Amino acid sequence: MFMPLQPPSAQTGVPRGDVGEVVESMLLDERVRWIAIVVQDSEAGADRFEVTPWVIDPTAPSTDRT
Amino acid sequence: MIRRIGVLAALVALGGCATSKMSADQLSRVAKDWSLGIRASQVIPVYPLTEDLQPGDVFLVQASIEDQINVYLEKGFLPLENLVVRLPVSGYATFYQGYPRVEDGAKAPPRRWQFPDETGEADFSHAPLAAFPSYNFSVSRSGGLSVAVPVQAVPVGLNLLDSASADGTITFKDAYTYALPARALYDGIHQWSAQNKDYLAQFAPREEVVDGKTRERQFFLRVVNRVYLVKSVDVTLFTERASSGGLSAGVPQKVELLNLANAKETIDNFAAVNEILARAATSPSPAPASPSKPDAENAPAVAPVAVGGTLRLTMATSRSVSLTETFKRPLVIGYLASDFRILKDGNLGASAPTLNLLEGRPAYDGQVIAYVPCDANCRTIRAWLKADSRHVSELAAWLEKSGGAIAIADLETGPDALLRQRAVTELIKP
Repeated sequence: MFMPLQPPSAQTGVPRGDVGEVVESMLLDERVRWIAIVVQDSEAGADRFEVTPWVIDPTAPSTDRT
Repeated sequence: MIRRIGVLAALVALGGCATSKMSADQLSRVAKDWSLGIRASQVIPVYPLTEDLQPGDVFLVQASIEDQINVYLEKGFLPLENLVVRLPVSGYATFYQGYPRVEDGAKAPPRRWQFPDETGEADFSHAPLAAFPSYNFSVSRSGGLSVAVPVQAVPVGLNLLDSASADGTITFKDAYTYALPARALYDGIHQWSAQNKDYLAQFAPREEVVDGKTRERQFFLRVVNRVYLVKSVDVTLFTERASSGGLSAGVPQKVELLNLANAKETIDNFAAVNEILARAATSPSPAPASPSKPDAENAPAVAPVAVGGTLRLTMATSRSVSLTETFKRPLVIGYLASDFRILKDGNLGASAPTLNLLEGRPAYDGQVIAYVPCDANCRTIRAWLKADSRHVSELAAWLEKSGGAIAIADLETGPDALLRQRAVTELIKP
């Protein structure tokens, strides 16, 4: 479904167990085609991730994206 | 000297021929390369350049955001078509409080700068200044003149260099900008839309089938809130191969444009070139084969180009040539705008910056939010969304109307707990 909302923001500090739910929520917006899940740090032995959605190809040359 | 000038005239004329023979592909490449340079400055490019674009101009956008993104990436710019209305905006005097020569009404910007009085020349000296970085490009005549900029100085300079290829630099010498705050335009567009609901209702969202999939087609009003103008453009071309300074084009007739040992000849040569540029631009027919020696006193100081401006040779060496192209009045090269989605019954949705939509970025640049563990309201929202697939669009519609059009993911685990509470009490459990 197309939504006339802003694209989802990147979220930091997402615990490992919640990454799936966050990704699922981001994918409710069908414009989101890429999601980067990057290990951010570890707090009390629990890994935390930065989850970044993209609606354009982040690997394309910058001149084609900017 | 007569034969030299004949060669010059022919070369200038060739510049025009080369340009007119561009293929459609090459022309589209021109537009994209130029636009990429402007886009690098976070401005939406205008192509072709125009004087007739200002804050308050409203365009109807019929393509989906996805299609617009594709066009934007493919062409480099968005065609400005379907101009709906020019809002009778005011607020310049308040916004530019303390700026001289800024007022509302009939002389609101840019009119007072364009036409200071009945007969006066344009005077943008009091307009807010802007600056763009220099823009480098490469140009080659092989297979056509796929010049990356819509200014005449490039093909002319290439011919003056007598080179099939060159590298160049474009500098926007006199750039200006002016704007109205988005808040003022928000009031203007809503007032206009309230008076034109019948017209807007025909652009209400509708379902359409694309590639076997049903999707909702959206229409937007794009409201320009800032424009960038340029008065003159400096073009410098460099070539690896040294010419005679340099005009030969297969004709064994060398012209030393810059000969420091003979200052008078240099001055005469520059005057001759500028006089020929003037003649080539004002005459619809090719320049004469053997024009007489220009009269330095009577020759125009600078040369007009097709858009009513001037093109002037400022420097030339054996490997480079510099020209300055000045438009008669500053032309808009780019703009910023906000998009308003047209809702059912002709109402308007929340606004979003056009540039961010086109580049798929959140409405606020570089927004990264700290994850907030899913609270009770978050869990309620998630369960409600999973209970019925239609709830997603219902929540999206509520967010657009009442929640600042933020994404569902941002609502669920973002920092705005109050908004989550409202979503539950107003939408899910009213």
